Amino acid sequence: MHFDPVANLQLLVSGLAFGSIYALVALGFVLIYNAVGVVNFAQGEFVMFPSYVAVTFLLPAIAVFGTVVHWQLPVVGVYLLVLVLMVGFGLLFNRIAYHPLRDRGWMPVVISTIGVSIFLRNAAQLIWGSQPIVMPSLFAVDTISVGPLHIRPQDLLIIGVTAVLIAFQFFLFERTTLGKQMRATAQDRATARLVGVRVGRIVAITFVYSALLGTISGLLVAPLFTVTKEMGALIALKAFAASIVGGFGSIPGAIVGGLAIGVIETFGGFYISSAYVDAIAFVILIGVLLLRPQGLFGERVAEKA
Amino acid sequence: MRLDRKNFLATTGAAAAGAAFGFPAIVGAAPEPIRIGSVPCLTGSNALLGQQEHEGIALAVEEINARSDKVYGGRPFEIVEEDATNDNQSAVSALNKLLGENVVAIVCPVLSTQIQAMAPVMKTHDVPWMTGGTAVKNTQLGVTNLFRLRGSDGITAAGMTNFAVQDKKAKRVAILHASDAFGTGGAEQIVLNLKKIGLEPVANEQYPKDAKDFTAEILKIKQANPDAVLMYIQNPSDTAIILKQARSLALTAPIIGSPSLGNQTAMEVAGKDAYGTYCAVDFIVGFNSNVATHFLTAFYNKYHHLPDVGTGSGWVYDAVFMLADTYKKQKSTDPKQTIASLKGIKNWNGVLGAFSADAEGNMIHAVSIGQNQDGKLRLVKKVTG
Repeated sequence: MHFDPVANLQLLVSGLAFGSIYALVALGFVLIYNAVGVVNFAQGEFVMFPSYVAVTFLLPAIAVFGTVVHWQLPVVGVYLLVLVLMVGFGLLFNRIAYHPLRDRGWMPVVISTIGVSIFLRNAAQLIWGSQPIVMPSLFAVDTISVGPLHIRPQDLLIIGVTAVLIAFQFFLFERTTLGKQMRATAQDRATARLVGVRVGRIVAITFVYSALLGTISGLLVAPLFTVTKEMGALIALKAFAASIVGGFGSIPGAIVGGLAIGVIETFGGFYISSAYVDAIAFVILIGVLLLRPQGLFGERVAEKA
Repeated sequence: MRLDRKNFLATTGAAAAGAAFGFPAIVGAAPEPIRIGSVPCLTGSNALLGQQEHEGIALAVEEINARSDKVYGGRPFEIVEEDATNDNQSAVSALNKLLGENVVAIVCPVLSTQIQAMAPVMKTHDVPWMTGGTAVKNTQLGVTNLFRLRGSDGITAAGMTNFAVQDKKAKRVAILHASDAFGTGGAEQIVLNLKKIGLEPVANEQYPKDAKDFTAEILKIKQANPDAVLMYIQNPSDTAIILKQARSLALTAPIIGSPSLGNQTAMEVAGKDAYGTYCAVDFIVGFNSNVATHFLTAFYNKYHHLPDVGTGSGWVYDAVFMLADTYKKQKSTDPKQTIASLKGIKNWNGVLGAFSADAEGNMIHAVSIGQNQDGKLRLVKKVTG
């Protein structure tokens, strides 16, 4: 196969776009893990559910519980509405799935998140049915063409929004009191409580923040994926692998891990075989675990000890 | 007998007691229902196909049970449904569960990979198995009581290949297929058909289950510079996403797909990105028999959306009516007798056309090549296997 710079650039953009989505969802995993010490297996549903809510209000006609509704609200309004709803969702999730079980060890909480995940997927099927739903793109054109180069504007949007979110996250964690409280809670909840951090509130904010990261991922990727009840689970699986590659608990690790998995699977599919894309990603995962069990960026939890 | 208060109480009391203790003759019990099993993929990434099967079966059962004689002798159909989900193991478990439910026939899932996983269990039971799975191998696994109610991939792949080479004058043919049994089997058939005419595919790409980014596959195919791209994919959602991504990456070669490309949902989801594409399908609206016209109308009236006739609701509707006709004719639901009757089916008219069983259990022997013209599927030609 000859080297084609145009194809390589297209692969890079696509890989970075999907990698960005994995990174955002991986960040959600890591933030919750750092805050409460458990993996949230409903993280994928934080992507799927708001996407369904968004298409419900965006499309001219959509069946909800078998009845066709015609809301079709303006795009900006719908995005804001979905973000507000997901703030409530994050708080509710914290209150129902985590808070009552917080003193019973990690296992009941993990089971609880799995339960919520199954519930939300089945609820989505019940409410919106099995048909995949197309989320309208923000762009009038599907492709920007410059000579032989064809780039999806949605890919560029995903990469751009992710870059802004990462910068925002850096600012939040390094420059604000709230961010410092979140970091303190992640490092040692008992000590954070002793120095006056309201840990319960910080945990709730972490769930909300993770839900918002999932929501933004869903809104960004849905025009490429279509909205289905499985969309979140597929992303979450890769994002989980990404967070392990980066070092579970490490925020830079989640970002680098996500981007790496996205880029490697796209290039692997092109240069090795698309049949083994998943295998390539998971061989890398196993390789990292064997050579560097703490992941590329170490594990923050290990630092607690 | 004089019906005074004492006699009335004695009679009704006996009847009530009889009913309670299972003596239906005393109260004239309803005829025993005929239990048919169904194993659609109701959850998981193929839930759309399962939902379509569920709807097709429910419509057929409703229509049959509304007849005065029901199936025969007043006996209605009763459907026992188990979810095959999205993996082979669950499908086999669901099948085993159904076999303990006293069913006399089973409508299998449409996924060939699940049918092939079920084959070892199927071989050990004398039950008529009705399937819409089109992989050629399905009817060559030694399950002698399996009946396929759709055209096999052999016919479909030959139709697609010949259309690409003869009608579209393609010399450089690329293949994109799913990595499941359906996609792999179909791609093998295309390669075989290309070989017969002295051609090799210029690219043969497969994608893993649940993939959503097809950039690598599309760019590889584009780099091979094909005159036509043949897609062999079962999942309508995958088909739609691939079409969208292919168009956004400026893949301009004509696309000729397996039946999922003509699937109503795939066409709706892909929208204008599917315009101009071709597909080999079991059924095209507008070129149908009275049975099909009735099915389309009744389906729309019941569900308020159009059915996916070939891949989803049509073949199961045919399967249930074919079983009903067979039971009515033989006045029995004996599975062995039913299997013998189904093997002798000749020119039975259903939604998907005229059914005649061959030695392997194939009942449909033709497909149509259609083109998506502004969102509507139009007949281009008929292909007989």
